[in-house]
Amino acid sequence: MLCSLLLLVWAIPGTSQTSDNLARGLSEFRAGDYGAAAAHFARAEEAAPGATDALLYESKAHVHLEQFTAAETALRRYLLLHAASGDALYLLGYVLHRESKATESLETYTKAVQYRAPAGDDLKIVGLNYVLLNDYPDAIKWLEKAVEAEPKNKEAWYFLGRAYYTKSRVPEARKAFLTVLELDPRDAKAENNLGLILESEAQPDAAMDAYRKAIQWQEQSVRPSEQPFLNLGSLLMEQSRVGEAIPLLQKAVELAPRDAICRLKLGTAYLRLGKLTDAQRDLEKAVQLAPDDPVAHYQLGKLYKEMKALDRAKTEFDRTAELQSRAAPSKPQ
Amino acid sequence: MKRWPKTAVRRCRFGKIDVRFAAVFLCLMLHVPLVVLVAGQEHASTPPASPSGTPGKFVDITARSGINFRYQASHTSKKYLPETMGAGVALFDYDNDGRLDIFLVNGTPLGDPTPKGTIPQKTGPQYWNRLYHQKTDGTFEDVTEKAGLQGTGYGLGVAVGDYDNDGYEDLYVTAYGGNKLYHNNGDGTFTDVTQKAGVGGSGWSTSAAWVDLDGDGFLDLVVLRYLEWDFDDIWCGEHKEGYRAYCHPDFFKPVSPLVYHNNGDGTFTEVAAKLGLARPGKGLGLAIADYDRDGHIDLFVANDSMVEFLYHNKGNGTFEEVGLPSEVAVDIDGRTYAGMGVDFADYDNDGWPDIVVTDLANQRYALYRNNGDGSFTYASTTTGISNITLAHSGWGIRFLDYDNDGWKDLLIAQGHDLDTVELTLPNLRYREPMLLARNTGKGFVDVSTESGAVFQKAWVARGLASGDLDNDGCLDAVVSTNDGPAYVLHNETPTENHWILLKLVGHQSNRDGIGAEVKATTASITQSATVTTTSSYLSASDKRVHFGLGKDNVVQQIQVRWPSGIVQTLKDIRANQILQIDEQSGSVRW
Repeated sequence: MLCSLLLLVWAIPGTSQTSDNLARGLSEFRAGDYGAAAAHFARAEEAAPGATDALLYESKAHVHLEQFTAAETALRRYLLLHAASGDALYLLGYVLHRESKATESLETYTKAVQYRAPAGDDLKIVGLNYVLLNDYPDAIKWLEKAVEAEPKNKEAWYFLGRAYYTKSRVPEARKAFLTVLELDPRDAKAENNLGLILESEAQPDAAMDAYRKAIQWQEQSVRPSEQPFLNLGSLLMEQSRVGEAIPLLQKAVELAPRDAICRLKLGTAYLRLGKLTDAQRDLEKAVQLAPDDPVAHYQLGKLYKEMKALDRAKTEFDRTAELQSRAAPSKPQ
Repeated sequence: MKRWPKTAVRRCRFGKIDVRFAAVFLCLMLHVPLVVLVAGQEHASTPPASPSGTPGKFVDITARSGINFRYQASHTSKKYLPETMGAGVALFDYDNDGRLDIFLVNGTPLGDPTPKGTIPQKTGPQYWNRLYHQKTDGTFEDVTEKAGLQGTGYGLGVAVGDYDNDGYEDLYVTAYGGNKLYHNNGDGTFTDVTQKAGVGGSGWSTSAAWVDLDGDGFLDLVVLRYLEWDFDDIWCGEHKEGYRAYCHPDFFKPVSPLVYHNNGDGTFTEVAAKLGLARPGKGLGLAIADYDRDGHIDLFVANDSMVEFLYHNKGNGTFEEVGLPSEVAVDIDGRTYAGMGVDFADYDNDGWPDIVVTDLANQRYALYRNNGDGSFTYASTTTGISNITLAHSGWGIRFLDYDNDGWKDLLIAQGHDLDTVELTLPNLRYREPMLLARNTGKGFVDVSTESGAVFQKAWVARGLASGDLDNDGCLDAVVSTNDGPAYVLHNETPTENHWILLKLVGHQSNRDGIGAEVKATTASITQSATVTTTSSYLSASDKRVHFGLGKDNVVQQIQVRWPSGIVQTLKDIRANQILQIDEQSGSVRW
């Protein structure tokens, strides 16, 4: 990750103002105050355009702030004067990936390899670009290269597992997630994905155990994921244990209030328990968040039917049918 | 009349069987009950069998039955989709000798590759469809050539119905690239009348149904089609040796069914759009019942990986598709699934036909309980079906009361569609044993492992038809497998329970009585059923209506609501017999 990159200190020609801004920026960067750092790097560049690597540092600060457009702008300016900077090119490849510009990102990585060999993290991002392009065979190829280059790269193993899982290569996905758990025995994401695998293998009890573990392991996390709550809640619903599912789905909604699937599941659970007012709130929100999801419209139609609002129910069922029929045939890989 | 060797245990059978096709003098109807007693009947009734009951006992008698059939899928390296679909089975009495005969659909050779636009053709006897005539000793003889039923194309489904009301069952055989209608000449031979009838169709046809859609007394023909598909070289699955897989249906466009109105003169007119039945689907399974009991037969279409269709007959000769508002289009979570086989019958004995649909592993077979108000409730989770079927992939399916306890159980042909599935999902199986789920009256229990060696054998099962092959009152089954043999499964379930088998003969209605609703009431229970040959997957079952009667040896009342609207009532009918009911003219119309 970017935060692991070493900041190289350049010799700074030019004014003391440039030097001062650059030094303060570096200090703030190290302290994690990326906003202030970015501002000081910008001033340093303004004072002595092209004389330092201030633009490169500024872009890194923007990356930390997830300001990828600004990071791209800074990097492109930097590369006008330092076209052979491998570091800048690799960073631009990453930034473009984060902007979902997968094709441009891949082109940039292709240029970058002329200046230095890619690290495992770089290969991982290349693989994830192919995921964005829905080209899973190539995604898997590059993610496999990433873990080959860095066998202890936990994230690369995780994403490789996800890619395998998406392509229904379940044994390989399982192995990848188990490798993540070897590297980090309490990795909640990997355990959650093992749960998904167990579900696909028709082992619901084992899957529920995995989801419960994932929930437990992420208890202390600053940013716990809604996914294990959603998955466990959904599985309980499939077993008609709707009452048990509701608190889990409520938690999922709390963690991801703008996630349409969490809303949909919670609304559906309320509907199945006959809590129509609660169901209406969440199902209408789900439809608002995902207006083209036929399942959300279907559940809302069922709710309105239950509420005897038959005209509204018909509208939702008609919308469901329209969305279902609109689904274009998939393309073979 | 014993046809297969006896077992030591008293099996599904009660006393001497009275196989009489007595034209029943019955009658009666709504206001003035007339009781018809069948000689020798007993009136005492006892409660039905205990819900815990016994497991089944189905015995594979293929080897000694004389059936020696192998379905030729003709697998290629290109993984053409028809290779994995399998084919249908028909159980019907083509020569009216009172014994069910067996018709099996077969494939053709396929080139590897096969050029786009090819309509595959049979090239030799190993690819022929086969008609097996049941002899008096219960074994079968191959009469295909004499009957003229060898067929031509890559066969899929079969539908049975007497479309010209001449008293002999005719056959419609679906295939990829065009279908065939065979008229039963009544002398053991059939004539291909496809061209004259105008029912050849096109594209990829699957299940078909004979059903009188407009109440004119002639069976019309509904023919599902699967996909817009051709022999293109499309690679699906991983680009690794051995990992090429059959393409998901999402890769192809849906297609409208064909619906042929029977003009009554041996010709048909295609009317799908006119009747409101032309919605494009990916139809594999088809079943009929009057789900809202408005006197008009409705249709259910099991579509693969899209919404399922329920066509409500509006009573004016047209239909409307109501799957979504009736809550049978998707599963409980609103998800579509790979609908393949279907049955449409009243499993909970509340008088309203319910629906069950098979699909793929991890999807759970869908059981929809009819609420009686035009809507259904997804009941897989509450009846045990979800847990029983989670890991299975099902095709042919029948509600079938194997132990005659009065509750319709489920017999299901299983096996995944992907022969590569174990490479990617090691816990799933391409070959799977059949599944027998016992209906306890409160839910379903998987009794497969206790119900005979048949349920230990892993097959790539597809088509399934049920019927009473030996007229002993216990429903048997014939199963086809993909690129494998057909199996004859004889029901030898040990039980003392009683039964009745009803053969309806229409006179104002179509002669088969297809679409008639039959209600049987004993001292303990009331059951209902629809006369049909169509359900399951690509298959046609015994049209006779079977009721298990538990400990009751008398049916207090049998009520038939014919497609003509005539309602006919029989009283106090002795159990353990095959009874022919002729539609009575001049009766009260419903």
